[in-house]
Amino acid sequence: MTVLEIMERSGMTNTTLAVAFIKDAIHLMQSQVDVHTATWKTNITDGTREYPFPANMIRLNNISIKDTNDSKYKRIRRLAHKPVVAEDTDPE
Amino acid sequence: MSFNTHKTWFYNTVGRNIHLWQYVENNATDTLAGIRIQMPDEYYGRQLIYPDESITSGLRFEGTAFAEAFVDNDPNELNGNDEPTLANQTSPDEADHVNLTRMLSLAVVDYVKAMMSDGQGDIQKKEYYMREFWKKVGDDQSNKRKMFMTFPVTPFAVK
Repeated sequence: MTVLEIMERSGMTNTTLAVAFIKDAIHLMQSQVDVHTATWKTNITDGTREYPFPANMIRLNNISIKDTNDSKYKRIRRLAHKPVVAEDTDPE
Repeated sequence: MSFNTHKTWFYNTVGRNIHLWQYVENNATDTLAGIRIQMPDEYYGRQLIYPDESITSGLRFEGTAFAEAFVDNDPNELNGNDEPTLANQTSPDEADHVNLTRMLSLAVVDYVKAMMSDGQGDIQKKEYYMREFWKKVGDDQSNKRKMFMTFPVTPFAVK
């Protein structure tokens, strides 16, 4: 369905606002259901624990770590409680 | 070398980041003159430590993404017998297509109507269209799933 068709069906006349609303609707859908899923990979650095979420990710499904022993990504679990170590100033 | 990562790695979410933790049951060792020795100032016993090795492309996220929301062709119409070729439109205009199924596009129409009603201060109408929106999103999802329900019929039951 084109943007124009959505505008005509809804009675909207402002294209910029219509596009903004469409983006909002997609965000809302993606927050609840899997419309488009994607995967992102990033390097793990020795001694670094903090990694940002991908910028265009809306809802997290799972996180995996590469098992270099057999070259497979295996899902890891979320910690139920925060660990005792708040910060390690000498992680090496 | 990482192994059994599903058992030895954990994460927790902190704002826009995750914290990765490695679970260890042993202690840090080093080799001195061919003999492995325990390092006195290093970790020892069961605990969570910061990642202990660098892994290229080692962390993988999977989730829903805001990607290719607008495309140049109709994503619901075949090109002959082939899947349609879709090019992402970064500055969408009225002629571009929303990269959703027909049902979800109809849900978007309801969402736009809901937001217009919201702007006019008609909350009842807004709530009605939002309900329609979620109903269509639910319909679209159920199109991908088949559920079977079976239940025993009681003797002499009037059905």
